[in-house]
Amino acid sequence: MDEPRVPLTPDEAKAALAMIEETTRQMRRMAAHGGTPYFILVWGIVWVLGFGAGHFVRDPNILSKIWLVLDVLGLLGTLYIVRRIRKSGIHWQSGATVGWFWMALVLYAGLFIYVTRPTGMLLSMVIALWAMFGYVVSGLFYRSRFLSTLGLVVTAFIVVGYIIFPAWFNLWMAILGGGSLVAAGLYILWAWR
Amino acid sequence: MPRFDDLIHQPVRLRIMAALAALPPDASLDFTALRDMLDVTDGNLSTHLSKLENAGYIQVEKTFVMRRPKTFVSITEAGRRAFEEHVAALQELLNLSSSSGKTG
Repeated sequence: MDEPRVPLTPDEAKAALAMIEETTRQMRRMAAHGGTPYFILVWGIVWVLGFGAGHFVRDPNILSKIWLVLDVLGLLGTLYIVRRIRKSGIHWQSGATVGWFWMALVLYAGLFIYVTRPTGMLLSMVIALWAMFGYVVSGLFYRSRFLSTLGLVVTAFIVVGYIIFPAWFNLWMAILGGGSLVAAGLYILWAWR
Repeated sequence: MPRFDDLIHQPVRLRIMAALAALPPDASLDFTALRDMLDVTDGNLSTHLSKLENAGYIQVEKTFVMRRPKTFVSITEAGRRAFEEHVAALQELLNLSSSSGKTG
């Protein structure tokens, strides 16, 4: 017979709840390891290393090369994660829209930087703010309060660091900007383990 | 008082609903991934999905990805509500039995 009889016994209810819990855990593990938290983690590591180098390396030529290498690695990591997500069996309905949104964001950020020509710390802040704007909007697309909140919190860190601690801005960004992203990525992996 | 849902309680359908309810809000699950996760046959899974779809608990979307046919399954708002109510009813039954066990 297909349908169960109701009411159930407490043992049947307990077994059903255990089954639900196990399936939920399996699904969350699949979603987490499919890739999403790795995006945050990869770019968090890029920020920690890039801004960290900005604090210690004074030569702007060397620094721009370090950022270039880190950004290329971040981009390669992102492409690898996109591939993993596609293979995971989880389909993000807004995935394509978010992808196009990020491309448009990079284009507009590039245009903005080309036109306004910010340099040094101002350039770092502008890029970081555009990136966090991307997190906030992506969170709205994915209906993820966590992602949008993360974007807003890191935005607040960026602005506070820029205004109040300009001498320590790079170190501030490495620890609180990049560190927050790394912590958030690790938190999702831990919570959905 | 939360209501038991006979349609959801069948073990395979219970696991289907649990899996889909655990998905992030914007996501759906590939038929093949769901089949592998539940360790059931294509036919068996299709039958259960049809029943849930007819009840309005899930949405089945057939599409093409890289020219290959794909079927994605997601939970509807009505499905999420029914599932949460069913889980609450199971929890309540368990709580009642444990409190009557303590007093009785």
